Amino acid sequence: MNTDPAMTSKSTTLSSLNSIPTISAAVSSSGLLGSVASDNDMRDGEISLNTIEIVQRKFKDNEKVLSIFEAYQIIGQEHRSRLLALVVSVAGGTYAVFSLATARLPPRNVNDLSIDKIFALNETFQIGSDKKGSISQLQFDLKTADEAAVKYFYYPIISAEGASDFETFHAQIISAKFSMTHSTAATESILSYSWLNDYRQIGEVKQELKRRENEYIVFKDFIVYCGTWNVNNKPYSDSPLHLWLSNGEQPADIYAIALQELDTSAKAITFSENRPDPMWISKMLSSLHKDGEYEELTSVRLVGMMLTIIIRKQLRPYIARCRVKTVARGVFNTLGNKGGVAVSIQLNEGNLCFVNSHLAAHMAFVEARNEDYAGIVRGLVFDDDLKRTINDHDHIFWIGDLNYRIEEPPGLQLPCNRASPNAYDVLMKYDQLRIEMGKGNCFDGYSEGRIKFRPTYKYDVGTDNFDSSEKQRAPAYCDRVLWKGVRIEQLAYNSIMEIRQSDHKPVYAIFRVKIKTKDEKRYKRIHEEVLKLVDKRENENQPQISVDKTVLDFGVVRFNELSVCDFTVSNNCPMPVEFMFKVKDPPLNDICEKWLQVEPRAETLMTDSTKRVRVKLLADVRSITGLLKKIRTTNWKFDFDILILHVKNGPDMFLTVTGEYKPSCFGLSVETLCRTNQPLNTYTQAQVKDLMNDDSPEFRVTMPREFFFLIDYLHKQGNKVEGAFETLEYKHARSLQFNVIRDWLDTWSSEEFPGTPQAAAEALLMLLDLPEKPLLDPFVEDLLQTNTAAEAMELISLLSSPRRNVFVHLCMFLRQGIERQYYNLQHVASVFGRILLRSTAHAGRDFYRETRCRDFMHRFISSDIGGTLSTGIADSSGISGVGGGANGGSSNGGGGGDGSNTARINAIN
Amino acid sequence: MAKKTYDLLFKLLLIGDSGVGKTCILFRFSDDAFTSTFISTIGIDFKIKTVELRGKKIKLQIWDTAGQERFHTITTSYYRGAMGIMLVYDITNEKSFENIVKWLRNIDEHANEDVEKMILGNKCDMTDKRVVSKERGEAIAVEHSIRFMETSAKSNINIERAFCELAEAILDKTSGREAAENPDRLVVDRRNNEKAPAYKSCCS
Ligand SMILES: Nc1nc2c(ncn2[C@@H]2O[C@H](COP(=O)(O)OP(=O)(O)O)[C@@H](O)[C@H]2O)c(=O)[nH]1
Ligand SMILES: [Mg+2]
Repeated sequence: MNTDPAMTSKSTTLSSLNSIPTISAAVSSSGLLGSVASDNDMRDGEISLNTIEIVQRKFKDNEKVLSIFEAYQIIGQEHRSRLLALVVSVAGGTYAVFSLATARLPPRNVNDLSIDKIFALNETFQIGSDKKGSISQLQFDLKTADEAAVKYFYYPIISAEGASDFETFHAQIISAKFSMTHSTAATESILSYSWLNDYRQIGEVKQELKRRENEYIVFKDFIVYCGTWNVNNKPYSDSPLHLWLSNGEQPADIYAIALQELDTSAKAITFSENRPDPMWISKMLSSLHKDGEYEELTSVRLVGMMLTIIIRKQLRPYIARCRVKTVARGVFNTLGNKGGVAVSIQLNEGNLCFVNSHLAAHMAFVEARNEDYAGIVRGLVFDDDLKRTINDHDHIFWIGDLNYRIEEPPGLQLPCNRASPNAYDVLMKYDQLRIEMGKGNCFDGYSEGRIKFRPTYKYDVGTDNFDSSEKQRAPAYCDRVLWKGVRIEQLAYNSIMEIRQSDHKPVYAIFRVKIKTKDEKRYKRIHEEVLKLVDKRENENQPQISVDKTVLDFGVVRFNELSVCDFTVSNNCPMPVEFMFKVKDPPLNDICEKWLQVEPRAETLMTDSTKRVRVKLLADVRSITGLLKKIRTTNWKFDFDILILHVKNGPDMFLTVTGEYKPSCFGLSVETLCRTNQPLNTYTQAQVKDLMNDDSPEFRVTMPREFFFLIDYLHKQGNKVEGAFETLEYKHARSLQFNVIRDWLDTWSSEEFPGTPQAAAEALLMLLDLPEKPLLDPFVEDLLQTNTAAEAMELISLLSSPRRNVFVHLCMFLRQGIERQYYNLQHVASVFGRILLRSTAHAGRDFYRETRCRDFMHRFISSDIGGTLSTGIADSSGISGVGGGANGGSSNGGGGGDGSNTARINAIN
Repeated sequence: MAKKTYDLLFKLLLIGDSGVGKTCILFRFSDDAFTSTFISTIGIDFKIKTVELRGKKIKLQIWDTAGQERFHTITTSYYRGAMGIMLVYDITNEKSFENIVKWLRNIDEHANEDVEKMILGNKCDMTDKRVVSKERGEAIAVEHSIRFMETSAKSNINIERAFCELAEAILDKTSGREAAENPDRLVVDRRNNEKAPAYKSCCS
């Protein structure tokens, strides 16, 4: 390989700089590394490696991590750890800075690392530190032509073992870059950044497969046959092309056939004839090696230049990519009579590039030819996934009429016609191409085989005689085949004298190329391993949290009493974790039921930190209706709620909120209350559930005792009830004192009522307001259509008896109070109208509807229509019983059951 | 750099009574391991596993659900996103088999209409404790025209095969849809269909 001597000279340059290890040092130590890295079993083992060794495992054996630096990026609000690694490729002779994202710092193993950005240390590379407007002085930018500037920050302290401080890292980068841009003149020949393409592959799987390439790649021999011929505008005719194209013992696998001056009539130049010429191609196809079956893969043409790639038919499935590109030079660089056409293919895992160029003519125009060369190199960017340039290929064949001449030394007659090999060597000394290559002016890094044939230009057409015209052009090796890249061996290089149709002789060269090929069996195994590894990495790096309990037991929960339960969320995984409670499906549309409050609802947890989450449970006027409904309708074991604790990009956890609801009269329907035979505080949640679901028409009392007690108490308060029934705000319920009233009702207490008449009035409203359904259900809407009390009474008589009785009783009580001017008629009508005729359909306030409700109530409680009630409820014994009874005689707690109050109520029926 | 490591992403869901082995099945498939300690799943957890079917890299995102009865309502909200559902019972537990019908009803109510289903009779290694015969499993599967397989997470029987078959059924559906939109694809797919059953190539 001709790059070897150049490589040595580079090492010398590098060793003159003390701050970075030389490439040769990298080579020798990579041997050591190779032995470690190739031991698969140890890759994920417990052996402890320092950070630089872990980073090294991200790279191939001949790529050496020279130093690493801990930095971080700020993306949005987040700090993201980055390890920057300065890496040298022994094969490419080039350096790059890799930015690696790491799942934890320091990384535990190679699985924690993924390549985030690559900055090639080429001439466009810049490391800067624009501290303007920055939040920290400890920062810098990296930038290349391929990567937009990225800002990195760093801490003054280093945590990873083996990491450099900023000054050292900075100096190493600068000197590495310096060593490349200031090494020997023939830079491009050695410097290749194509190794970086392996890391630019999309996706972790591809990257990982590339990294482990040496485990499944074998090299397979392919014969590449290159031919070039300037046909001098001649038609394809009957030339014996097989003499040119069927040489060699073995049939070639790939032909790259380059023609120049193909029909360059004035018309062709003007109209840029770019369609390949099918006549020439079929002529070629019929002139190939007899032992192979061939087909055209592609052809590309620019005016007079055409490059045709022909392959053996059986190779077709192994061609993964095929792209063409043309670069026009010539007049104004656009005309296309000079320039290059090229084809890039991927055969198995090898990337091949073929270039056919026709460079500037005439003895004196050496520099123009060099410029044409440079222009083609610049312009040839293939339209593929990586925007490959010529140098991004493993094997490059540059063929064509390069037009370099033999510069005859004055007074020396060159031995153009002599057939001795030495004679050609003498000629080559004066060959402009060799001279220019030697000076590093063109074709850097290209090789050419020894020429053992006569100059190929310029002949009298139809003869083997050099130009005998007046011009007497000096013979020259215009037509050449050069190559660059790895594992290429030339087998033949010759011209064909017998083809005399043109003023040029055709030239061919045969190569054996060892092309990277997957060993399918090994590849399959490693591919599987890689898939597993990448999956494992993803599964392991899934964000996780833990909680100290998954069941939040609130114990005994009572109406209107706040309970609190805390739990702790911890983040033990190596990255920040966002958790949040998930909003549940409609109709809930919230993270929890109405009786719960959760704080906080979402949070970001840093590694190793915890957060207390507080859950509050309150079954009050706002939520009791829903809670009782849920108790009534839950078929299996009842839970207050199940919270979904969601981890962003991770699992969901279910937190069960349990406890036992201690029943109270509030929220229960009048039917349910009429089914009790003991105070409610003696019931369990399950018993109340059964009571709620009982739909038999049997009741133990005509109306709820709790209702009766309240009315009875209020009735006896006379005019001390100022302000009662004026609003629907439950303000007494907010004080703890209210729960004493709750207990008085739920125990059927014989004590004095433990509150004010106003609180009793509020409790009465709550008793009527909190059940799932309004008192006048199911006739609410029908009743609102009625215009007279008598009309309405027909419907009311159809209500269940507890409802009917409560309604009648309530109206009589209210009417009496209004008559005696204890209560304000308008207020009472409005408040009770809204409660008793509550709409179960819409939640918001509807003032028109409220007016109708008030009017309805008005009809029943204003004194002028007193007669209606008594006629409508002939089966009821009237209100007289209410006035006489006292709470004092009722049974108190326990199963005793039949106190005097109860007995009296039973008598109502 | 883009991180897409797959051609298609399929979401699968594991459901069935608590204790039938859902978590073990998933663990066997994703980590090729088995532990006999029973840690009740309290929530929804997922693992990913990439398989290759017909030359396509298919990333399976498999959701493991809590089987406890108290979570039934809440887990149904996860059915909607699933393209495939594994319904697991335990061949040593009669009740878990009887509940299959209930789970199927749940699927009908809450999952996408075209979700691919498969019934797995797990713990088939425990022959001496078997109470549900393979025939009964097959019968219920035929009745509902669903795929069926007996599996063992412990002895690694049919685990990969089950997931790959389910994924393949989903792939059939998706590529059928693609083919309808893009007739060119049909040719390619048909040729690939002739190959040996795909699970062989993905499940070694
Ligand atoms: N013998 C046997 N035991 C199993 C098998 N799969 C799961 N188990 C056991 O069954 C119990 C419940 O398994 P798990 O996966 O947690 O059930 P899940 O509630 O459905 O997720 C565990 O103790 C497992 O060890 C199996 O294939 N064979
Ligand atoms: Mg589980």
